[in-house]
Amino acid sequence: MAKLTLKQRMQAGDEAFAKTGHLFGLEELACKEGDPGTYEAVWHILSNLCNTAWATGCKVSSSPIAAEGGDALWGLHTPTGEAICISRGITAHAGLLSDMIKNFIRAGYEEFPGFKQGDIFENNDPHYGGIHSPDFDMCMPILYEGEIIAWASAVSHVADAGSVTPGSIGFLNPDCYSDGIPISMEKVGEGDRFYPWYEMRIRSRTRTPDFVMGDARGRLAGCITIRERLYEVIAKYGLEFFLEASKEYVEDSRRYAVGRVKTQTVPGRIRKSQFKDLAMKGKRVLMGKQDKDCLFSLPMELHINADASVSLSLAGVSGTVPFGENISPTALKSGLMMGYSHIIGFDMFNSGPIAAWDIEMPPAGSWANPFEKDFQAASGVAWAPAVTWVSNLYEVFGRLFQMRGFVEEMAAGSATIMTAEFSGVNQMGAYLAGLTLEQASNGSPARGYMDGENSAWCIYTPEADFGNAEIAELYYPILFIGRNTEPDSGGYGRFRGGLGHTAVWMIYGTPGLEYQCGDAGMRSKIIVNHGMYGAYPVPPDRPSYAHDTNVKELIDAQQPLVHGRGPAEASEISERVKAREMEVAAIAPFVTPEPLQDYDLIVHPIGGAQAMGDPITRDLSAVESDLNKGWVSERVARDLHGAVFECRDGEYVVDEQASQARRAEIREQRKSRARPFRQWWSEEREKVARKENMSTAVTDMWRSSMELSDKHAAEIRAFWSLPDDFTF
Amino acid sequence: MAEFLKEDIEKLIDGVLPWPAVQDMLKSPKDPGRFDKYVEILQSRVDWSETILLPLTPQLYIVAKQGERVVKCACGQEFGDYRVNWKLSSLINVREDEESLAEVYPGRDLPDPTWMQVREYICPGCGTQLEVEAVPRGCPPDFEFLPDLDVFYREWLGRPLPDTVEFTDKTLELIAEWSK
Repeated sequence: MAKLTLKQRMQAGDEAFAKTGHLFGLEELACKEGDPGTYEAVWHILSNLCNTAWATGCKVSSSPIAAEGGDALWGLHTPTGEAICISRGITAHAGLLSDMIKNFIRAGYEEFPGFKQGDIFENNDPHYGGIHSPDFDMCMPILYEGEIIAWASAVSHVADAGSVTPGSIGFLNPDCYSDGIPISMEKVGEGDRFYPWYEMRIRSRTRTPDFVMGDARGRLAGCITIRERLYEVIAKYGLEFFLEASKEYVEDSRRYAVGRVKTQTVPGRIRKSQFKDLAMKGKRVLMGKQDKDCLFSLPMELHINADASVSLSLAGVSGTVPFGENISPTALKSGLMMGYSHIIGFDMFNSGPIAAWDIEMPPAGSWANPFEKDFQAASGVAWAPAVTWVSNLYEVFGRLFQMRGFVEEMAAGSATIMTAEFSGVNQMGAYLAGLTLEQASNGSPARGYMDGENSAWCIYTPEADFGNAEIAELYYPILFIGRNTEPDSGGYGRFRGGLGHTAVWMIYGTPGLEYQCGDAGMRSKIIVNHGMYGAYPVPPDRPSYAHDTNVKELIDAQQPLVHGRGPAEASEISERVKAREMEVAAIAPFVTPEPLQDYDLIVHPIGGAQAMGDPITRDLSAVESDLNKGWVSERVARDLHGAVFECRDGEYVVDEQASQARRAEIREQRKSRARPFRQWWSEEREKVARKENMSTAVTDMWRSSMELSDKHAAEIRAFWSLPDDFTF
Repeated sequence: MAEFLKEDIEKLIDGVLPWPAVQDMLKSPKDPGRFDKYVEILQSRVDWSETILLPLTPQLYIVAKQGERVVKCACGQEFGDYRVNWKLSSLINVREDEESLAEVYPGRDLPDPTWMQVREYICPGCGTQLEVEAVPRGCPPDFEFLPDLDVFYREWLGRPLPDTVEFTDKTLELIAEWSK
């Protein structure tokens, strides 16, 4: 019988899954049942093999993003692309890497140019399944006696991919032609070496080619590590066992996720709306069409079905934007795979859990499926809306776990993500463009029984690490004059989210430096919709900067500098510094209008995560503890938590009895201040009909989301009793 | 299969279970009897007698009441048929101007009221803030969860409820009545 091609094997696998409900048609897990000890041992060996690749690859990489922050990932895949296991690092990419391999197979590359030992394939092009150009996805076939037995894969986030603005968070990119250097489903090397023209292109079309090539070699080193170590595994356990067990790990993981849904959640319909702002009107932009404010709608509707499968609809998403925040459905699905694996399928992180999902394709022409109608849409930082949407998964599954009594598994929504990038000449005279790692360490979400942890979590990577300040100072012409836990940054609820931190940088040693305060899931005009069980969500992201300052005079006179944000009502930067240009509560994202110079300041807050529960039910001893640590302001403790306290010799003491009385008053005040819903609804619908006090960003968003989904439009009209032809 | 003491689950709910014991719960295989124990604990903490069918949130429960399934607050306040978004039976306070938003988000933290409003859903009985939404004008309230109770009890727990109801969202039916 003729040997099946990979494409035929992929089709056979899809058919077997459709027919049996089991991946690869595996109704029995023979390796697991026959030799559970070896099955488990080999899983851990393969998992460690990927982690070894991560450690090796990051060491070989040269950008601080991979080398210092570990912002990269390596994976091992079946011959048809399913991820068997992956390393630590940016786990959001596991699905992308898997789909990339499948795309190479679908596109007929097995026939031409062929898959040979030592071949290197890459993609970073969103039109072909990439997420955004700085994320270089790589894969290499692993052959054994002439047959492909697996794939090694890797991704690293390079410092600069040559997009129209320096750096890797291309939120300002107006179209795909400005997204930077495309590697469009290419064979970029063979014999474990890159082609010379691959390096030439990187040298001529990225701003930090040594970093970009260093990272490419890091990806390659990690993939070779996987391949060579895999041969050792096969030598010990046999090829047949590896091939069978590797499929079983994926099916096993699918079963685990389905089992977890059935035993720990509840069937039904989940809905959660979410929004994200991008206020750019009047700011420094690149093209006239970008002089506008945008708001994204990111709704989620999940059905947990009777068989514990999950159906997902994104009907109601809004239209594409003339910025870099559009994402391909492939990349969005990869983000979902990561979130779902964190929440449900974390026993073995691979392609299995997502197989139980039925995902309705987002409407063509939306930010979540742009290219069919807007081929030129930019994806410079496509993960900005995606991580926002993944955050919803945390909250909605947290709610489901509560309903089944598994309180220990509950989590609220994630923090928002605002990045900082610098470009310019550094203190050593070298041109630099790149991302700091500050945003990779948000607070963690509140749990159903405790506060989140401070600066210890990041939604897109379990490698939550803001890196060493000294390393950042080595690369960039900046000095840290503050890096402190930010009070009041974890929302206000019974349990608060883990707090974020604020970095304060003084520019030093440069003829000019641009600060790009980037959008990677931030909110600045609005507040995130994560008021779980009555908590208040975290405040908006509002950085500060001062340009052309008197900071040198302050240093010479040994006067206090700026080390944090200070109270929301009186920011430290405005209290202590004079400057020709100062933004105390800047609306992110933005690029500084002029290059910053020595002694200029940046105050860059990194968000805490979301809270849960009515803030007046917070344990009073927790309020007292936070007051004494400086983690909650007196205002929040008093006005939102209803605590009555006094400060004696610098120590806060909460009055339990007086606080309970105050909380009882707050309950009564709430009842007298609020109105019956129906009364509000009848007044509100008039305001909706008149579009009263609604920014054009809001009306534009509603108009596009209603145009893209008739069902969504009908529901909005029906809820507000609006005419059938009503549009915003 | 792990089983945990009811007392420890109570401590978990109250946020006072020591961290090592919480870690044990996180790492152990889940106890199949957890749902019943959890509901038993919640039932023992309320002053009313209707049977809790599902804890919708830590404060709101779907209960069986004279052949109907209604949403009920721990304080006893009722919110009607669980297939209608309970928010329609709540009190609501909306922060949609700078003054009211600044009570929560002052100064540097003030959001833009032309882009969004903060909606606080309050229990008319006990004044608990049940949910908060931060959404632009025009957004219908989130109906966070509509459970398929019959599938849950019949197929997942293996003990059907005495009666069945249609699994459907009835929120817009109530809105249609209001619109007449």
